[in-house]
Amino acid sequence: MASVIGMSTPPVVSLRGITKAFGQVRANSDISLDIRPGRIKALLGENGAGKSTLMSILAGHYHPDSGEILVDGQACLFRSTRDALRAGIGMVYQHFMLVEDMSVTENVFLGQEPGFFLSPQAMGHQVRGLAKTYGLDIDPDARVADLSMGEKQRVEILKLLHRKSRILIFDEPTAVLTPQEGEQLFVALRSMAAQGKAIVYISHKLGEVMALADEIAILRRGQIVDEVPAQAVHSQADLASRMVGREVLLDVSREPGELRQNVLRMQGVWAGSLQDISVSLRQGEILAVVGVAGNGQKDLVETICGLQAPARGEISLLGKPWKIFFDNAPWQGGLSYIPEDRMGLAVCRGMDLVDNFLLTTRQGYSTPVWLQRSKATAVTQELVDQFKVSPPDVHCLARQLSGGNLQKLVLAREFHRRPRLIVAEQPTQGLDVSAIEEVWATLLDARQEAGILLVTGDLAEALALADRIAVMFGGRIVDTFSAQDRQRVDNIGLMMAGMHPDAGQ
Amino acid sequence: MSPEILLSLLAATIQAGTPILFATLGEILTEKGGTLNMGVEGMMLVGALAGFLVALHTGSPVLAFVAGGLAGMGMAAVHGIVCIAFLGNQVVSGLALTIFGTGLAGYFGTRYIGQTAPGFDKFSLPILGELPVLGPILFQQDALVYTSYLIPPLMWAFLRYTRWGLGIRAAGESPAATRAAGLNVLGFRWAALLGGGILAGCGGSYLSLAYTHLWTNGLTSGRGWIAVALVIFAFWKPGRAMLGAYLFGGVMAFQLRLQAMGTALPSSILLMLPYVLTIAALAFSSWRGHRTEAPAALGVNVEPSE
Repeated sequence: MASVIGMSTPPVVSLRGITKAFGQVRANSDISLDIRPGRIKALLGENGAGKSTLMSILAGHYHPDSGEILVDGQACLFRSTRDALRAGIGMVYQHFMLVEDMSVTENVFLGQEPGFFLSPQAMGHQVRGLAKTYGLDIDPDARVADLSMGEKQRVEILKLLHRKSRILIFDEPTAVLTPQEGEQLFVALRSMAAQGKAIVYISHKLGEVMALADEIAILRRGQIVDEVPAQAVHSQADLASRMVGREVLLDVSREPGELRQNVLRMQGVWAGSLQDISVSLRQGEILAVVGVAGNGQKDLVETICGLQAPARGEISLLGKPWKIFFDNAPWQGGLSYIPEDRMGLAVCRGMDLVDNFLLTTRQGYSTPVWLQRSKATAVTQELVDQFKVSPPDVHCLARQLSGGNLQKLVLAREFHRRPRLIVAEQPTQGLDVSAIEEVWATLLDARQEAGILLVTGDLAEALALADRIAVMFGGRIVDTFSAQDRQRVDNIGLMMAGMHPDAGQ
Repeated sequence: MSPEILLSLLAATIQAGTPILFATLGEILTEKGGTLNMGVEGMMLVGALAGFLVALHTGSPVLAFVAGGLAGMGMAAVHGIVCIAFLGNQVVSGLALTIFGTGLAGYFGTRYIGQTAPGFDKFSLPILGELPVLGPILFQQDALVYTSYLIPPLMWAFLRYTRWGLGIRAAGESPAATRAAGLNVLGFRWAALLGGGILAGCGGSYLSLAYTHLWTNGLTSGRGWIAVALVIFAFWKPGRAMLGAYLFGGVMAFQLRLQAMGTALPSSILLMLPYVLTIAALAFSSWRGHRTEAPAALGVNVEPSE
């Protein structure tokens, strides 16, 4: 569906059939998008849906494998960010690109100096004028290092405005802001749009997108699955279900497992953003935790995995209280954590596969003094062969593995520990279809021996694997129900927006 | 101490401080661009020899001074090829550059030991040289000293009020932001490094062309290292580099005078003084918490853009 409103103004930038793959993973496939002056276009999608890749292509960071970018109707080739900037396309990154030790004015003018000799006064005057025009409150002489995150963001915006950028891309801009700063940003964004700038707003926050956007494009697994004018969206629930999708990508055959002893019980737990969480999980079942990212999933995982202590409430793992369990966690037959951030949390980039294998299994491969390296090497080799990790060389480094093979290695290592409780966080994010299939099959196999808590932003994955589904919103679990309960499954979108269907919303 | 002796001691202070000033300013420029070059000692020695040889063969001190600067630049280019082009470790490359420079100057310089070459002689500047007290100290020096007076304010203004200065500082503080602004980070780093090499080479050739007029091996005797340390003492500010360089020049001149007059103190203790002061100055600046004044991306290599 193409946007209906604003069709009269010709697009300032058009993306046509943009495709970009990293190795086996298609981050973007055949994406077309029109961006019009004076309008705010939201790009909505879960983490890993391909939003940032798409915008990095538009900003000149990546080259698309195929497809073209039209600026004012003419095809353009961006070799670098410099080319994109020259075409009037600028991006405000989540990680600010500022020189901390310089003044606001110097940052704004960097790369845009009017002449060889600089006049700080005249430049400061210009920055002040620009800030006033767009309602961005800032002191041009302040050192950037002394500014708040909101102020730094304003400097980034001023940089683009000073370059007379016509398209401003914002990548999750409110992630670093206080609510008040967020409000100020929205006012400024509307003012910029009113003055003819085209705004692209990347987010996964439904409320923000509804409040701000004129048009909403929804990305899922690298494709634009929907594009609608904001007025056509009736509720956040509507948007949420469009975003997470329903169709099951792959057919995985499964039988309900045999339910055995309880491996995880949380009773009234508060920790971080979590509020009054109660969950139980038995050996032989998969419980999927779904929700829009940032609604407490991270705190939930960290609390269960011992990275964050609960403030209140009771947790027991494998029948032991939280503290006692983690005081002496067994390396085998215990808890395995498969983190979302593989490179950062699951492995060490610069170590070989044997050393990475030993990261979580070393207790089983050590004498009082020495590590039993030859034994560990043999076992790693066995696992690499069994899980078909490629390349099958245990002495290559973790960073030489592709995302899918790295995930296979992590799974192999963790399943070697014969866990009875598994916490898997976005286990298939960024993987290609065949790797997803393998990971899913592995998880279903593991269900024989373990209880699995699957945290996912992909509803299709939850429906394919889970026996039960818990929906999170705002740090609470809205509801937990069987995956066979069609009526509740149909209402997941509503629940992800914080509404409980039984409460008469 | 009589006023005459004091005046001559202070004039000697300026002269002893000048080579250190050149080298310190060079290293400040280099480090502002984000490259750490610990090879100052080697660049100075090669600059000193190049200056000496050109003076010996052409008889032109000006040409010799230029040659010294170019030789320093050539040495800096080696560092640039290792670190900027091939992303080598900056500390290791800098240390290697010092060893390389020392060896190079020793190899080609040994047969000239003890020979003299024409150089810069002192002359009194009109009017300024007649000033009481300041005249004899500051304005009855050689042309290179007068040149060195001009560099700190020029460098300060260059870094602050010019487009290139802004780019160099940005490349040293945040290469990512600089690149995002569409600037050529590596270009600015090269410029700062080569410019710094010229100044280090000039500092070296001051030693052979004005300070001594003759060649001995190891002419710099650690002044390059003092310059590296002084950059931290100066908080990367050209103005403070002047203060630091003359402070060290003073200690060097003082211990020479003291040795000449003959004291009970062993000469090795006196020779140690400048280096003891180096350690004290470094400890002092670190203690004052000024390490944060260093360019944020100092010593961090930058990948070439796609």
